[in-house]
Amino acid sequence: MIEVSGLTFSYGREKQALHGLNFTVGDGEIFGFLGPNGSGKSTTQKILTGILKGHGGFISLFGQEIASVHTQDFFQKIGVLFEFPYLYTNLSAIDNLKYFASFYPSGQVRDALELLEQLEFKKDFLRKPVSSYSKGMRQRVSMARALINNPKLLFLDEPTSGLDPSGAVLFRRIIEEERRKGTTVFLTTHNMADADLLCDRVAFISNGAIAALDTPGRLKEKNSSHQVVVAYLHDGKRVERTIEAAELEGGLGFAHEGIISIHSQEPTLEDMFIQYTGRGLS
Amino acid sequence: MWKGFAHLLKKDIGLMVAGKFFLLALLSLTLYSCYINLVYVNLDQGTYRVYLYDPQKMYTGQSAFITTVNSRQELENVCSDSASVGIDVSGDAPEIYLLSSATATADHYRGLWGRAVLTGLEEEEETEIVGAYDKEQKSRREITAEFLFFELSAVGFLGLASIVFKEKQMGVIRVHGVLPVHKAAFILSKLSVFLVSDLIFAVLLTWLNVGIADSFMILPAILVQAGILSLVMALTGFLCAVWLPDFKQFSLFYLILAVFVTTPVFLAGQTGVAWDWIVFHPMYHLFAAVKSAYFGVRTSSVLYYFVCIGSIALLFYAAYRILAREMAKEG
Repeated sequence: MIEVSGLTFSYGREKQALHGLNFTVGDGEIFGFLGPNGSGKSTTQKILTGILKGHGGFISLFGQEIASVHTQDFFQKIGVLFEFPYLYTNLSAIDNLKYFASFYPSGQVRDALELLEQLEFKKDFLRKPVSSYSKGMRQRVSMARALINNPKLLFLDEPTSGLDPSGAVLFRRIIEEERRKGTTVFLTTHNMADADLLCDRVAFISNGAIAALDTPGRLKEKNSSHQVVVAYLHDGKRVERTIEAAELEGGLGFAHEGIISIHSQEPTLEDMFIQYTGRGLS
Repeated sequence: MWKGFAHLLKKDIGLMVAGKFFLLALLSLTLYSCYINLVYVNLDQGTYRVYLYDPQKMYTGQSAFITTVNSRQELENVCSDSASVGIDVSGDAPEIYLLSSATATADHYRGLWGRAVLTGLEEEEETEIVGAYDKEQKSRREITAEFLFFELSAVGFLGLASIVFKEKQMGVIRVHGVLPVHKAAFILSKLSVFLVSDLIFAVLLTWLNVGIADSFMILPAILVQAGILSLVMALTGFLCAVWLPDFKQFSLFYLILAVFVTTPVFLAGQTGVAWDWIVFHPMYHLFAAVKSAYFGVRTSSVLYYFVCIGSIALLFYAAYRILAREMAKEG
């Protein structure tokens, strides 16, 4: 679906934003692009969506070289969720969706009401202007806007920002559903939970370069200490002991009256990011 | 490529309605027309009154424009306004007495009128009549041209800019960067709506204040000039609204535009102020062209139209570039 090779981009002569990125995204894959603010992830997304011109290197989308791909046909096949919910605040959710949907062929467009229902949008607000909505409600309408044309390739920038925990869970479920339908998702975020739970593969980007690229599981496994912390009862007291994971195969080799918990010492994706890039995500 | 143009048009009309643009235009039309028809046409309609102090009764067979007074004191009293001319012929040579209107040109013409009336060069017999309009019609055309210029240059500019500013603040301009519609269509739809709206305004303003029959011949030329001015100002408004980061800066720019760009044109065109450099002011030529159109004088200069078309093309290109930059912005 996406093939990027040696991608470079500069804002002016001095400010090189991307330093030769290489990655591919397969059909139906959820690909996470993780990095702190200013790392180059939004720049990459803008180049892929055709908003930014003047890059170096090779990019192919839908099997076509990028120079020839950014036609109206391309924009009919993609959906983009921006970091902020950009909507006409004087219009209602329905009117916003009707307006944005009007640019796509009618046979391709999804039912706006059904989509909003799927996104658990409050029915009372359907006809009220967006200016009266909370941030979470606006984000739901924005997500509906990104999905209204049944995109084959979905660009999501911080999809769960501004959502409460249940909203974030709902959005993750919807993204999963999109993947099941065969939609390819390019997810730009610095939310590690989203990336860990959703992405088939993630790329860590820092200072315009990819520091690591693999599945979240493998990235964590590679850097795991392979130890577990066992909390258990012994002589009526709570005791914690760190052992090698392999030791568990033969059962617990120490006296105990009951196990309270077993925690793996696997690093988080955020730990991995810091390890690979030398910087945090905020 | 232009499939979404109709939807953009519909949306822009909706934004204009929501922003009460049409209501404001209607209000402007009503105010201008009321002022022209109820106030302006009644101003300055009479000829200058001429008073003569002639104790020796030297001037017999006086013109109907002359009123005789009996003393110098009376002459000074009746000429205490700035629209009368007094002539004292009690001495060796006629002496003109008038209270200055503070405009040298007007005073000069008042004096000339007094002498002309005294020496018998009556308007009906001797004066060459320039143009086919009576004084009221001339006044109507003059002020209508000025109001149209003001409306299109100041109010039109602000109207389009305010809509673009709203869209910019809502961030929706960026969404249009990923929709299957050409970026140029985003600009063209706004231009089309404002152009049509401005042309309708020009027609109604002209019909109401010049008269439908009287404006029949001049209307095509007025629409051409109104179209040029509308496009120039709408594109300038678009550029400023997208380019300037916040409304405070935009307000300041608008003030600068009003004070330094439009005011000199009005001063040079409407008052006795004479500036040689005004010919280098682009808005002056647009103003002159609108005025010429109202008086049926053809703007024959090919260079004028060439510069206008070139400027519109350049402004459109700049608007397109700055729109693309805005679409790529973050946050």
